[in-house]
Amino acid sequence: MNLDCVLRHDGRNWVAEGRELSVAAPTLEELDQRLAERLRSSGQLAPGKRLQVFMAFDNSTIPQWIRQYAQHYFNRIVTVTG
Amino acid sequence: MSEEFKSGSGSLTSDSLEADDVLAGAEPWDPVETKLVLWSLAIAAVVLVIGLFVVPSSVLH
Amino acid sequence: MATMTNRKWYTGMLSQEDWWAVWMGLFFFGLGLLTCFNIDVIGWVTYPTKWVFSPPEGGKGAISSAFYALGKKYAYDPDAKAFYKGLGWWSIIWTYVALTVVTTVGAACMKWDVKKFVQGWTVLFFLTIAVWFVGHHAFFAATIINKHKYGLDFSLSLGGGASFILALIVGLIIGNFFKGFAGFLSEAAKPEWYIKTAIVFLGVKVGYLPIKAAATSMKLGKQVAGLTGDLFFAGAVATIVAYMVFWPGVYVISRKIFKLPRKTAAVLGSGISICGVSAAVATGGAVRAKPVVSIMVSALVVIWAVIELIILPGVFTHIWPGTSDPLVAGSAMGMAVKTDGADAAAGELLDEFLRTKIATETNGAVQWPEGIITTSAVMTKIWIDMFIGLWAFVLAMVWVYKIDRRPGETVPASEVWHRFPKFVLGYFAAWWIYLAIFFGPGHAGAAEGMTLLKMAKAGAVPVEKGLRKLFFMLTFMSLGVITDFKKLKEAQFGKMVWVYFVALFLFIIPVAVIIAYLFHHGMEIPNMAG
Repeated sequence: MNLDCVLRHDGRNWVAEGRELSVAAPTLEELDQRLAERLRSSGQLAPGKRLQVFMAFDNSTIPQWIRQYAQHYFNRIVTVTG
Repeated sequence: MSEEFKSGSGSLTSDSLEADDVLAGAEPWDPVETKLVLWSLAIAAVVLVIGLFVVPSSVLH
Repeated sequence: MATMTNRKWYTGMLSQEDWWAVWMGLFFFGLGLLTCFNIDVIGWVTYPTKWVFSPPEGGKGAISSAFYALGKKYAYDPDAKAFYKGLGWWSIIWTYVALTVVTTVGAACMKWDVKKFVQGWTVLFFLTIAVWFVGHHAFFAATIINKHKYGLDFSLSLGGGASFILALIVGLIIGNFFKGFAGFLSEAAKPEWYIKTAIVFLGVKVGYLPIKAAATSMKLGKQVAGLTGDLFFAGAVATIVAYMVFWPGVYVISRKIFKLPRKTAAVLGSGISICGVSAAVATGGAVRAKPVVSIMVSALVVIWAVIELIILPGVFTHIWPGTSDPLVAGSAMGMAVKTDGADAAAGELLDEFLRTKIATETNGAVQWPEGIITTSAVMTKIWIDMFIGLWAFVLAMVWVYKIDRRPGETVPASEVWHRFPKFVLGYFAAWWIYLAIFFGPGHAGAAEGMTLLKMAKAGAVPVEKGLRKLFFMLTFMSLGVITDFKKLKEAQFGKMVWVYFVALFLFIIPVAVIIAYLFHHGMEIPNMAG
């Protein structure tokens, strides 16, 4: 099972947003932990199961004048376990 | 489309940038960094030697 | 809020500058190719010539012919030639209309503010044309060989370089002293978009160079084709060596001397090393730095790049290596000057300076073809633009698996493609298609291929000469407009400004020159004067 979400940075926190899901944390480690907790508590992640989360970075976070030089920041795949 | 995007500033505006830890708080040097630096220098050395032999316009030719 | 994410391999084909440089470049390249079928719909491209207020009797330089449609000189079909001859200064309007339509479609697809873009673009275009005109006054542009034709006893011998310098100066004045006006132009002041398009046009130039040389002799044509091939290989190897020396060097300087955190040092290492903003963003993403790190480094890079653009072409021309090793100078430029725009602009300036210098030194006995030195500067840059995607992938794996060691995270291989500079595809396509015409139906310049090669020339020249130089001019102007030197003073950069200064002048530039020398020393540019 896979989950797709958009990742951005609001200046202080990394924010991952998907359908009916939004978690924020100052570091990616904490973000991943909070995401796993949220998925467990919402029942989307059953105990012992694994879920692959694809996080596509939202490049509109980067100022427009920079986007002409580079159009990609990073995408990441995180596997969370229930 | 957001106003920030239209105005070209991106969703990160200068008010929301927290830049203090960008310059401060250097971590101690880790052995893996030594490895990274040496590996890239080694790649440079290998490509340099092969390149000098292979590229027809190099000083060796 | 609208998001801009890269999910599929084709994401961004209609919404990113990089792709739009390919579409715009290949569109005009395609229009040019039609002349091979005797359809000339490209000869309207405007081009300036040297002028003076009062030309001597029987001499050159009337203001009335200061701009002309390139088809007047290069069209193959006599009817087309006659038509383009009649355009004169009107060719500016033709060029404006054609480029406005194409760039505006691009701006709309990229979801820019179209009204603001068209307004900014219109002012930027005509301002650029005005500067192009002034820069071609014979006082600036004529050399000691041809100044007498314009009735001058003295000229600055800057060739086409004068217009580029003026465009940069005018742009910088606007960017630093008329910030309201710079804001008005900002939606259209996109140096990186213009230079990427110009690099696709440069692909036309590299492919066309053998065709041009073949008009002198078949042997010369093949010699030039061989030289561009050599630059391709030498550029690849030199760039990889340079980058793999630069990056760890700057990383160590940042970490050990300036005591910067790891992620900042990694991003600086790439930003200062070679490819500036694109590398800073790619590396920032790779090491999962907060975007602010890449943004700060990028702001620094664009300013230092312009400082290099101002200093290096003159140094390489007049101090070392000068005309004795022009391709060492060109490729070193590609490895030393950050950002595609500033590098290609510096390469072009160097091209103008060195060609003018050699012609002056030999009293016209040696004439180098335009664009080979620019090509050497751009070749190294293009390789690094491609290489950074791979290096960023390696760094991402090192950071995710070895340094941060985040459990459960993997680095998708598609990252390499998302970071690949797409405009490079347009550059290679344009180059190799013209090269295929030269070696294929053009019979490498043998008599039976010459008719086709002359027809191909009619379509190539307006693109590789007219549009390419115009887009370089737009790049110089918009680079100036977006460069605000005051940003260097902003306190939060403090330490980084110094890292940059030390790394650039004491490490990067000397190493770039040495590596360029190792791979390009002794490469000679063919003499077109016979």
